[in-house]
Amino acid sequence: MAPELATRQRSAPPPVGLLRPYLGSFAAVVVLQVIGSVAGLAPLLAVAELGRALLSPGPLDHGHVRIVVIAGAAGLLVRLVFTAASSGIGHLLDDRVQLAFRRRLAERLGRVPIGWFSRRRTGELAKVVGDDVSAVHPFVAHAPGELVAAFVVPLVSLLYLFAVDWRLTLITLVPVVLAVALVPLMMTPARLREQKAFDAAMGRVANTVVEFVRGIAVVKAFGTGERAHRRFVTAVDEFVAVFFRWVRGMSVIAAGMQLALSPPFVLLAVLAGGAALITSGDLPPADLLPFLLLGLGLTAPVAALGHGFDDMQAARRAVGRIKEVLAVPPLPEPVHPAGPRGHRVELRDVRFGYEAGREVLRGIDLVLEPGTVTAVVGPSGSGKSTLVQLLPRFYDPTGGSVTLGGVDLREIGSRDLYRMVSFVFQDVRLLRASVMDNIALAVPHAGFNDVVRAARLADIHDRIAELPRGYDTVIGEEAGLSGGEAQRISIARALLADAPVLVLDEATAFADPRTEQAVRRALATLKDDRTILVIAHRLETIADADTIVMLDDGVIVERGSPAELLARDGEFAAFSRTYRSATALQRGGEPR
Amino acid sequence: MIRMLMRVLGPEYAGPVRRTVALMTVTAMVEGLSYGLLVPVLRALFGGDPGGARPWLVAFGAAVAVYAVLRYLSDLSGMRGATVLLRGMFHRLGDHLARLPIGWYGGARVGEVSVLASRGVLEAMGVLAHLLGPYVSACVTPLTIVVVMLGFDWRLGLAALAAAPVVAAIQVWTGRSMAASDAERHERGHEATGRVIEYLQAQPVLRAGGRTGERFRLLDDSLRELQRASRRTVLSALPGVLGLTLTVQAVFTALLALGAYLALGGDIGAAELLAILVLAARCADPLLSLSDLGGKLRAARAELGRLDAVLSTEPLPEASDPVRPAHHGLEFDSVTFRQDGRTVIDDLFLSVPEGQRLAVVGPSGAGKSTLLQLIARFHDVDGGAVRVGGADVRDVGTEVLTSRIAIVFQDVYLFDGTIEENVRLGRPDAGEAELRAAATAARLDEVIERLPGGWAAKVGEGGALLSGGERQRVSIARALLKDAPIVLLDEVTSALDPVNEAAVHEGVERLMAGRTVVMVAHRLRTVQRADRVVFLDGGRIVEEGGHDELLRRGGRYAGFWHGSTAPDIRWRRGRRAG
Repeated sequence: MAPELATRQRSAPPPVGLLRPYLGSFAAVVVLQVIGSVAGLAPLLAVAELGRALLSPGPLDHGHVRIVVIAGAAGLLVRLVFTAASSGIGHLLDDRVQLAFRRRLAERLGRVPIGWFSRRRTGELAKVVGDDVSAVHPFVAHAPGELVAAFVVPLVSLLYLFAVDWRLTLITLVPVVLAVALVPLMMTPARLREQKAFDAAMGRVANTVVEFVRGIAVVKAFGTGERAHRRFVTAVDEFVAVFFRWVRGMSVIAAGMQLALSPPFVLLAVLAGGAALITSGDLPPADLLPFLLLGLGLTAPVAALGHGFDDMQAARRAVGRIKEVLAVPPLPEPVHPAGPRGHRVELRDVRFGYEAGREVLRGIDLVLEPGTVTAVVGPSGSGKSTLVQLLPRFYDPTGGSVTLGGVDLREIGSRDLYRMVSFVFQDVRLLRASVMDNIALAVPHAGFNDVVRAARLADIHDRIAELPRGYDTVIGEEAGLSGGEAQRISIARALLADAPVLVLDEATAFADPRTEQAVRRALATLKDDRTILVIAHRLETIADADTIVMLDDGVIVERGSPAELLARDGEFAAFSRTYRSATALQRGGEPR
Repeated sequence: MIRMLMRVLGPEYAGPVRRTVALMTVTAMVEGLSYGLLVPVLRALFGGDPGGARPWLVAFGAAVAVYAVLRYLSDLSGMRGATVLLRGMFHRLGDHLARLPIGWYGGARVGEVSVLASRGVLEAMGVLAHLLGPYVSACVTPLTIVVVMLGFDWRLGLAALAAAPVVAAIQVWTGRSMAASDAERHERGHEATGRVIEYLQAQPVLRAGGRTGERFRLLDDSLRELQRASRRTVLSALPGVLGLTLTVQAVFTALLALGAYLALGGDIGAAELLAILVLAARCADPLLSLSDLGGKLRAARAELGRLDAVLSTEPLPEASDPVRPAHHGLEFDSVTFRQDGRTVIDDLFLSVPEGQRLAVVGPSGAGKSTLLQLIARFHDVDGGAVRVGGADVRDVGTEVLTSRIAIVFQDVYLFDGTIEENVRLGRPDAGEAELRAAATAARLDEVIERLPGGWAAKVGEGGALLSGGERQRVSIARALLKDAPIVLLDEVTSALDPVNEAAVHEGVERLMAGRTVVMVAHRLRTVQRADRVVFLDGGRIVEEGGHDELLRRGGRYAGFWHGSTAPDIRWRRGRRAG
C-alpha cells in the first residue's frame, strides 16, 4: 500500500497534458458543433416567423414567406454539415487520442521497475491499456461538442425567448426548475448509501464470477457443482435485492424528474401559461409559437447532465486508473551512464523491504566472482527470490549497493545492464511470434546460424525442425509447444543473449527430464568465464556449485563450498539432511 | 433483437418481456396521441377564441396525466423486468457453466467467460432497463404523430409518412453494415489485449533487446490496427447517421415548404398549419436520437450474441438410464481422442485392476494429463470407451462418477474463503473428527497451526495467500476427506521444493493406500512404488511393465530414468568425496 500512496502523491502530469497536441482539433470540434447546433434553431425560428406572417392581419407578403422557408432550409443544411463534421472529427480524434494514450502507457510500462509488475495482475494492467482507454471515449468524442452545444443552444434560445416575452419565458422554465429541485432528493444520505451498497454488490458479483469460472475444474471434480456456485448465486441474489431496493427508492424521484423534463409536460406548462396570457391580452397569439418550438430545448442541459452521466463517471474512474499507471515513477536512468569493467558482482550491506518497516534482506554482503557458480539456498521466505531479483534491477535496494564491474547498477544504463545480465526464470511465456523472433528476443540482430546454435545447445532444434515452417513457424498460431519445449526455447534465448552474468531461478521443476538435462548442459557450457547466481532446489545443482550461500530470514547464515559446509556440520548440513531425506522419501526407500 | 433476447433468456421470461414492451408501446402511443390535442388548442388560441381553448387544454392536461402514469409504470416495469431477467440470466448462465465439460474451459476461455458473466450479462440485460423504452418511444411516437397529422391534413400527413420507409431502410442498412465493422473492432481489441499481456509478461527480455514502447513492433502494430479498425467503424457509421439526419431534415423542410405553399393558396388554415408544424418538430427529435440508440443496441446485441453462443454449447450428454460401476477397476478399450484436429490419444488399450497403482510417464505433450481427464470424463472420447468398474463413463451418471473419483491437480485452485471451507469441499457433511484426521494425514495441521486464525484463516483469491506447497496440502486433505475409491494424481509434487515435496508426498501415500490410483509423474522417483508403469508417447503406450523390469529392458523408460537421475548419482559421489 505504502508505495502506491507515495506514487499517487508524486502524481505526474494528468492526461490533459497528453491532450495538448490535439487542442486545435478539440477547438474545431466545439466550434463546428456550436455553429451546427445554433443553425439548427433556424427552421424552428422559420416556423415561428411563418406563424407571425400568417397570423398577422392584412395581405400575405409572399416574398417574405419564401425567404423564411429558404432560411429555414439553409439552417438545416448548415446544421447537417457542421454537426456531422464535428462528430466525425471528434471520433477520429478519439481514435488518435486512444492510440496516443496506449502508446504512452506502453512506453511507461516499459520503464517502470520490473518488480512493480509482480505485485499487480497482468490482466488488470492490460485492462487499463485496453478497456480503460476505450472508456475515455465519451470524454473525448462526445463531451466537448455535445456538452457545449447542450448549454449554448438553450442559452441562445433563452435570450431569444426573453426578448419575445419574459413572463412566458419564466413559465417555460418551471419544468426545468422542478427537475433541478428534485436533484438534492437523489443525493440524500439514504440514497447515497443505497448507491454504495449497489456498487459493492456489483463488485461481489464480478468477483464470484471470476472465482466460479476459474475454479470450475475443482467444482466439477468434486461433484459439488450445486454447492460451489452457491456463492455466485448468493452474490447475484443479494445484488438483485439491493438493486430492487435502489429502484424502489429512486423510482418516484426519477419518474418525477423524467416527467418534468418530458415534452408533453413542458408543452402543457407553455400552453397553460400562454393561454392565460393570450386570454388576458398580454401576449399576441403568434408569440406563443417560439415557446412551443424552442421551449422544449431548454431542458437539454439538465437532460444532458442526467444522460451519459454513468458513462462520464465510468470515464472518470478509467482516467483515474490511467493516471495512476502513468504516475508510477520509472526506474531512474543514470544521467551519465558508466561502463562496468569486467563482470564481478558485489553486494555491499544490501537491505531491501517491499514495505517500510519490514525488511526482507537485512544487510547482505556477497561477492560473485566471474567463472563461478553461486547457489543460494534457504527455507521459503528467507529472501532468496528477492536477492536474485536485485541483479537484473527488478528493484533497487533500499540500503547498501549492488555493483557490477565496480559500477553501481544504478549508474549503468538499463540497456547495457540487460545486455550484461540475463536470466532464466521458471515462468516461461512465449510470444505469439516466430520461433526465430522468440529466441532472438533479446538480440534483435542475431544471425540465423547463431540462433540455430543456441537452439541445438538447448536441445530444441530437432523439435523446431519438425514444425510446419521451421524457425519461421509462429508459436501459438501455427504450432503449440509443450511446457518443456517452451522452457527449452527460453534456455536457447539465454544462451543466445550470451550475457556475462546469468541469474537462474530453479525454484520449481522442469517440465521433463530432457529439459532438466538441457539446462544442466547449458550451465556447463556457459560456465567458463561467467558469473552465475542460481536459486538452487536440486541437490545436484547445489553439489555442483562453487559457493553456497545459506540464507535465513534475510541474512546470510553460512557460506562456503559444499564440502566445507557439510564438514562444518552447521545450518547448511542440517538443511541438506532434511533435503536429502525428503528426496530419499520420494525415491521410495530409506536414505541410501 | 427481441427474438435473440428471448432465446437467451428461455421461454419463461417471454411473458414479462412482452408485457413490458407492450406497456412501452402504449405509453409512446399515448404521448403521440396527446399531441393531437394541441391542434384544437392552437386553433382556438390562434383563431382569436382563447376561451375556446380551455376544454381542450384540460383534455391535454388529462392526457399528460395518463401519459405520466403509463410512463412511470413502464419505466418501473422495465427496471423490474431487467432485474428479474438479470437474476434469471445469471442463474441460467451459472447452471450452464457448471454443466459444460471441463475440456471446454481451455486457453483464453476463463478470461472471456469471466468478463461475459459479469459485464456482458449486465450490458445485455441493460437493454430492457435503459434502451428499449427510449427506442420504442423514438419509433412509435413519431409514427403516431404522423397518423394524427394524416387525420388533420392528408397532404402534409402523406409527406411526413414518406419518411417512414426511408428511416426504416436506413436503420436496417446501418445495422447490417455496422455489424461487420463492430465485429472487426472487437476482434482487434481482443488481439491488442493479448499483445499487451505478452508485452507485460516479456518485459525483462524485451528490455534486454531494447524493445519497449513503440519499438516493440508486435504491440505497436496491434495498437495501430486497433486504431484503424475503430476508424473504419466511425467511417462506416457516418453514412447511416448522415442519411438519417438528411431524411428527417428533408421531410421537415418539405413540410415547411408545402405548408407555406398551401397556406399561400389558402388551402389550409394558418392555425392548422402551425399546429401541424409544431407536431412535425416533435417528430424530428426522437427520430434523430435513433442513430445513437441504434449504436447502443448493437453493442448490447453483440454481447447477447456471445451469451447465446455460450448457452447453446452443449454439455456432455447425460445417460438416460445410468448404470452403477460394479467395482473400482479402470479400463481403456481402444480409446481415441482428438483435440483441435490433433490425435492426443491414439487407439489406446489399458486396464488398472481395483486397488492397483499405475504410473504414467512420458515426454511432455504425450497425452498423460488427457488420460486422467478422460477417466473423469472432462471430455468424451472420439473412439472406443473408457470404463470405470466395467461401465462406460458415458453411461454412469455424473454424480456417481465424480463421487468415485478424487483428483489432485498440479495447480491447485482454492476458493476465496477459509481453509476449512476449502477442505470441506471434499465432503461438506464431514464431521469435525474426520476433518481433523484428513488435515493431519495431509500434514495440513502444521500449516494451520502456523497461520493466524488457524482453520478460519483466509486463503485469498485462488489461494494466493498460501504457498504452492500449502495449497497442495489443502487439496490433498480435500481429497482424503472425500475418501473416493479411485484417485487421480496429476504431477502433484512437480512444482514443489524438496522439503514441501516430502510433506506432500506423505499425504499422497496415505491418499493412495488401498485405492485404485493413476498418477502422472515426470519426476521418476515418485513412480517407483507403482505396481505398473506405462510409458506414453504420441498418445500411444510404447512400453509397459514394472519399474525394475522396464529398467532391465533398457528401452525408452530406462533412458528417461537415467537421464533424470544421473546428476543425483554424481551428487552422492561428490558427498563421499567430501
